[in-house]
Amino acid sequence: MGPLPRTLELFYDVLSPYSWLSFEVLCRYQNIWNINLRLQPSLIAGIMKDSGNKPPALLPRKAQYLASDINLLRQHLQVPIQLPKDLFSVLLEKGSLSAMRFLTAVNLEHPEMLEKVSRELWMRIWSRAAKKAGMSAEQARGLLEKISTPTVKNKLKETTEAACKYGAFGLPVTVAHMDGQTHMLFGSDRMELLAYLLGEKWMGPVPPAVNARL
Amino acid sequence: MGPLPRTLELFYDVLSPYSWLSFEVLCRYQNIWNINLRLQPSLIAGIMKDSGNKPPALLPRKAQYLASDINLLRQHLQVPIQLPKDLFSVLLEKGSLSAMRFLTAVNLEHPEMLEKVSRELWMRIWSRVRDEDISEPQSILTAAKKAGMSAEQARGLLEKISTPTVKNKLKETTEAACKYGAFGLPVTVAHMDGQTHMLFGSDRMELLAYLLGEKWMGPVPPAVNARL
Repeated sequence: MGPLPRTLELFYDVLSPYSWLSFEVLCRYQNIWNINLRLQPSLIAGIMKDSGNKPPALLPRKAQYLASDINLLRQHLQVPIQLPKDLFSVLLEKGSLSAMRFLTAVNLEHPEMLEKVSRELWMRIWSRAAKKAGMSAEQARGLLEKISTPTVKNKLKETTEAACKYGAFGLPVTVAHMDGQTHMLFGSDRMELLAYLLGEKWMGPVPPAVNARL
Repeated sequence: MGPLPRTLELFYDVLSPYSWLSFEVLCRYQNIWNINLRLQPSLIAGIMKDSGNKPPALLPRKAQYLASDINLLRQHLQVPIQLPKDLFSVLLEKGSLSAMRFLTAVNLEHPEMLEKVSRELWMRIWSRVRDEDISEPQSILTAAKKAGMSAEQARGLLEKISTPTVKNKLKETTEAACKYGAFGLPVTVAHMDGQTHMLFGSDRMELLAYLLGEKWMGPVPPAVNARL
C-alpha cells in the first residue's frame, strides 16, 4: 500500500464564481493526485461578516475586472461559467442561504451526491445551460424540508466558522493537510502552488483524463 | 523572419510584493516567449486613490494571509522575498514616491538599466537579508550603484526626480494603468491580434501563456538561450 492520501478541504459557496473554478479543477485532480477531497459547503456572507471584508463586486473596477477575468478563465479552465444578466442582484441581494443549507443537508444525508448537486446549483446561477443532477424529486423534497432544521443550520454555521478559523476572508478556500502541517490557500489561482506543496504534478487546469486510482 | 513579438506592459511599484513576483516570472520568460516586455514604473498609491480601493494589508485577515502566501510563493517562484519586520510602516507610511520617480528617470534616460535597478530596490525592502529603506535619497543611490550604475549617473538621475518631466511621466504611466482598469498592482497588459487583455496579479501567468499561445513551464522555466 502506498502513502496515505492527503486531505484537501474545499470551502465554497455557489454564490462565488471563483469557488466553481476551484471546485472543477480539484474534482479533475481528485483521481489523479493522492488526495482525499472533502467538499465543505460554507456561507460566503458569513465569512465576509466575520472578517470585516466586503464583496469585491462592490468596487466598480473590481466588478469590471471580474467580468473580463471570468470570461478568460471560462476558456482556459473549460468551465461553462458566464456572468448572469442580473449579476449585482445575484451577488448582493438574493444570497445563497437556502442553497448552502440544501447542500449542507445533502452532505449530511447523501454525501455521494454533493459534487453533482453543487455543480447543478452553480450551473443554474452561472451558466446559461443547466442540466439535472439526477436526484429524485422525492429526495429533493425531503432535503428541502430539512434545510430549516437546527441540525442543518448549525452544521452550515460550524463549517463557515471553520473556514474563518483557517483565516478565510472570502471563498474559495482550500486547506491542505499534510505531514502534520496545514496550508490555507485562497482563490482558484493557487492550484499550481498546491501541486508544488503536495509534491504532485501540475498538468494545467484541464489535465488529461486518467483512469481512477486503483 | 517570424511573427512579430507581442508587447507586454508590466505596470509595477516596488512597494508591491506581488509586483516583484510578476516581474521575475516575466523577466524569465522574455527570452523564451515571443514577447517584448515593457516595464512601466507606476505609483500604487495613485491607483488606490483613483480606483477607490484600499491596500489589502489594512484588513487583518488579508494581512495575515499575505504573510503566509508570500512565504509559500518565495519557495515556489524562487524569488528571495520576505516580509520586512516593519511591514505596516513600509506599506502604509513610508511609501514609494521617490523610488518610483527614480525608476521613471531611469526609464527615460537609461532604460537598459531599468530591470536591474528595479530589482535592487525590491531587494532592499523585501529581502530579509537587507530589510532596508528606499525612501531616503542615499538608499536609492546605493541601490542604483549595486545595479551597476556609476555614482555620477545615479546622482544625475536622482537630481531629476523633482523635475516636471519625471513627475509627469510617472503620473501619465499611473493614469495609463488606471485607464486599463487597474485597482491595484501588478497589472500585465498583453497586446495581441488587435486585442488588449488586462490581467491583475502575479497569478495570471499561466492564463497569459494560454492567451499568447505560448508554453507554460511553471514559474521557474528551464534557462533557455536568448532568442536569436
